[in-house]
Amino acid sequence: MAKTVLAVDDSSSLRQMVAFSLKAAGYHVIEAVDGQDGLEKARNQTVDLVLTDQNMPRMDGLSLIKLLRGMANYQKVPILMLTTESGDEMKAQGRAAGANGWLVKPFDPQRLIEVVKKVIG
Amino acid sequence: MPGKKLLGSQVKHLLSGVSDHGIQHLAEVETDLVQTALLLNEAIEKLGASFIAIHAAVTAQQETIEQLLSGQAPAVDYAAKLKAVQGEIGHHANAAVTGLQFQDLTSQLIDRTVRRVTGLREFLGTLGSGGAGMLEDSDSEQVTQLLSRINEVLAAQNVQLNGVLRKVVKQHHMGSGDIELF
Repeated sequence: MAKTVLAVDDSSSLRQMVAFSLKAAGYHVIEAVDGQDGLEKARNQTVDLVLTDQNMPRMDGLSLIKLLRGMANYQKVPILMLTTESGDEMKAQGRAAGANGWLVKPFDPQRLIEVVKKVIG
Repeated sequence: MPGKKLLGSQVKHLLSGVSDHGIQHLAEVETDLVQTALLLNEAIEKLGASFIAIHAAVTAQQETIEQLLSGQAPAVDYAAKLKAVQGEIGHHANAAVTGLQFQDLTSQLIDRTVRRVTGLREFLGTLGSGGAGMLEDSDSEQVTQLLSRINEVLAAQNVQLNGVLRKVVKQHHMGSGDIELF
């Protein structure tokens, strides 16, 4: 059965590119338009990996991670940040919030697939 | 005399505030627009190159299929050729996916630019409405108080604007970014 990735980003083109890349590698992709939408979709479905942007309306990536880590079924689910932000301070905040990795945009599809495979198989 | 000194100080404060605020935000707008242009240029170059390369690979693929169908050589020879072309198409499609992410980066820069321009418009609006409250027969104390209020509003607007702006997009190229697993 295909593993499910929840892709959270307010940019529709970015979500489309993530979905295109991961679906080609055999993953099932659920898309969410911001942190709030991501949280609702994560509550309603079983997800193997969360891939989230940082700067989004309504709820940003760090807030989403903190809320997910507070949910019993998301304490061990890998969460990767995919963002334009690349500062060490921001990465440290992500790590402290519970992120398992940090990917800086723009992403290369092959490298994204390699990372996802490494994290969830 | 102290009243005149206070008035002079408020006028000076207002003028330097207008100047600093305007220069700071317009400089940021200029930087963001230059960066947007750089990213768009690089993205279109990347996408154009990918499009041409994919077209060439698909044409080569079609020729190989036609040769295969006409039975000019053993099928096994064509299998490797088709596999190589398929790999080439995948490589160029990946490059196109990286290039297509320009919208995400540039929309953040444009969003910042719009917010700064809106902030400047509100700033100038505050100056206009503040100035309208100044009467011809206002004495220096009243003018000083009015200028002081305008200065306070402008300072608050500046802080508010910086608070709502998204973080700086540092990317100047459409090449793939770093990856770090914790």
